[in-house]
Amino acid sequence: MSSTITKLNAPLTQAFNSQPSSELQLTPTPTLNTLTQQLSGFDTLTSALEYAAKGITGYNFYDAKGNLRSILPYSALRQNARILAQRLFGFGLPRGSRVAIIADTSPEFVELFFACRYAGLVPFAMPIPVNLGSHAIYVQQLRGMLESSQASIALANIDYINFLEEAVEETTCIQWVGTPRKLNELPAISVEPQPNYPDETAYLQFTSGSTRTPRGVVITERALMCNLQGIVCNGLEIKPDDRSASWLPFYHDMGLVGLVLAPMVTQISVDYLATRDFAIRPLQWLRLISRNRCTIAFSQPFGLKLCTLRLRESDLKELDLSCWRAAGIGAEMIRPETLRNFAEKFASAGFDENAFLPCYGLAESTLAVTFSKIGKGCKSIQVDSKTLIDKRMAVRLQADGRKQNEFVNCGRPLPGHTVKIVDEDGQQLSEMMVGSVLVHGDSVMMGYYNNPEETNKALKSDNWLDTGDIGFLFEGDLFITGRRTDVIIVNGRNIRAQDIEELAEQQPEVRSREASAFGVNDEDGTTTIVVVIECRLTSVIERQSLTTRLQQIVYMAFGVNCIVELVPPHTLPRTSSGKLSRFAARQGYIQRTNMPGQLSFVESGDR
Amino acid sequence: MTESNYDEIMQLLCDRLSSLTNSDTQITPETNLISQLSIDSIKLLNLIMEIEDTFDVSIPINALTDIHTVRGLADLVHKIKSAS
Repeated sequence: MSSTITKLNAPLTQAFNSQPSSELQLTPTPTLNTLTQQLSGFDTLTSALEYAAKGITGYNFYDAKGNLRSILPYSALRQNARILAQRLFGFGLPRGSRVAIIADTSPEFVELFFACRYAGLVPFAMPIPVNLGSHAIYVQQLRGMLESSQASIALANIDYINFLEEAVEETTCIQWVGTPRKLNELPAISVEPQPNYPDETAYLQFTSGSTRTPRGVVITERALMCNLQGIVCNGLEIKPDDRSASWLPFYHDMGLVGLVLAPMVTQISVDYLATRDFAIRPLQWLRLISRNRCTIAFSQPFGLKLCTLRLRESDLKELDLSCWRAAGIGAEMIRPETLRNFAEKFASAGFDENAFLPCYGLAESTLAVTFSKIGKGCKSIQVDSKTLIDKRMAVRLQADGRKQNEFVNCGRPLPGHTVKIVDEDGQQLSEMMVGSVLVHGDSVMMGYYNNPEETNKALKSDNWLDTGDIGFLFEGDLFITGRRTDVIIVNGRNIRAQDIEELAEQQPEVRSREASAFGVNDEDGTTTIVVVIECRLTSVIERQSLTTRLQQIVYMAFGVNCIVELVPPHTLPRTSSGKLSRFAARQGYIQRTNMPGQLSFVESGDR
Repeated sequence: MTESNYDEIMQLLCDRLSSLTNSDTQITPETNLISQLSIDSIKLLNLIMEIEDTFDVSIPINALTDIHTVRGLADLVHKIKSAS
């Protein structure tokens, strides 16, 4: 892509040949910039990059062993993206056409993303395959996104291009598919890029691996810049000496918006570790923070848990985490124990528990909705379990010995945004009452691309976004008590119940609307997926075959194990409209299996 | 890379898998990692870390999508090791 940048994504055959370290003597981009930091006033992504490119900060990419493999200063990003945009002009696509990119943690992805914006095109990131035996299902998922977005161009680097070409075979919308290298061989058309406008779509964010109903969140430049400004000015209070480190995938909202775009619009440097490398050796992330004196790093609670699990006493001596002032925590329910365990383990490495920064958000509101107060750590309250279940009300625990639940304070909405709690009829509830969490403000999506049905379910009148999550407000702060029933979170990954049910219904023995999927929790908070299927098979062998096949397919699609329960027809509870109720299906399963300690108040109706 | 190296890889995989999964299943080259051993993503990552550390190789994540059995995994490690 540029001769000044070392290739990160060498072809596989080369990747195994370790290169002599002398060739890799790169210096990371500095923390302190030569440019005056500007946190606000940009109305589009490209205008923010034009400014950032005047400085010397940028992105740094590290390998599994912690060696710096390539750097991409914002100045080089601007230059490379503009050249790539000229090549994209050659396709003669109308403004706003979609470009699909498989998002490896690489400089190429970021260059392509910005090239699309310079060319007036709408990029979106697609995931990389992570599960054993997932080839066929992954290709199907890619195809679902390509078709749903009606993308014109699809790109992947050499490691993933075969999957993409397979996916493109049966689609009609794609005009061109290839690697960044192949794109670079196309002629550059010298057209001066037209400016982008706040009302134009900046990118799509897919939130589901479903092949039947993928949901691509439409985010405008205005929504993006509004959310970014809230995050960097109010949430993080970014300063000139800040530096980020991240392992979050570029195809997730927190990874892309929070740790690729937010650093760029504030002109600070970032150090990246590929998600795979973090998952295998999580302490590399902490070593990066320690070595480069990073101040801002986000993770799901699950990421912290991995670090805690893999820590050896000898690792602590080489770590100094005292620089880490903002340890953002989000993307799934936060259990206070996870944070306490992490803080306890890493205290001797200088980690300050006041750095914990719980927040709440979702891709449908660009990324962030609320932030707790920076530098104050994780605050929580204990409420009485019985009142919570019986009256759907959070009452602070008065006496010892009563069964209690502890919830984390996720803080206040970003400026210009409002959060309200409503009951089943949409009536606003008062403080401490538990109900559905709704969000209003400029960060809220336009809708799901080309999917009015799902859009209407999520966007209520007056553009209030129904997050599907459940919680309450206390003194203006948001507390989440449960995620929606249509999303199951296992090991930090969000899995839509509907996507699991869809896999079940694709089996010849299963009819449509006869499968229900949900999560059940162990005492220690571990979530297991359960699929209940109404089944007419009588042969033991056939029943076993269905169960095994389904477990295998769910694994290949989502990398998790599940419990399959076959029940007689008409066992699954339905609503008056004939729709399956996951909430009731889950209650039924819990009763049949006598599971202890399952709380029912966290449930909402299915959105 | 010789045959004995291949056997060594296979032996290590079988040993590690049997302690990772704690199951009574007799692990053979044909054992299905997904349907028979229920290797979840955390166990898989643990296994990859051990393979990488023992054989000093890097397992590319995109290659795992076509792996179903213990033999498939052993072949992959062997191929990578031989190429390095």
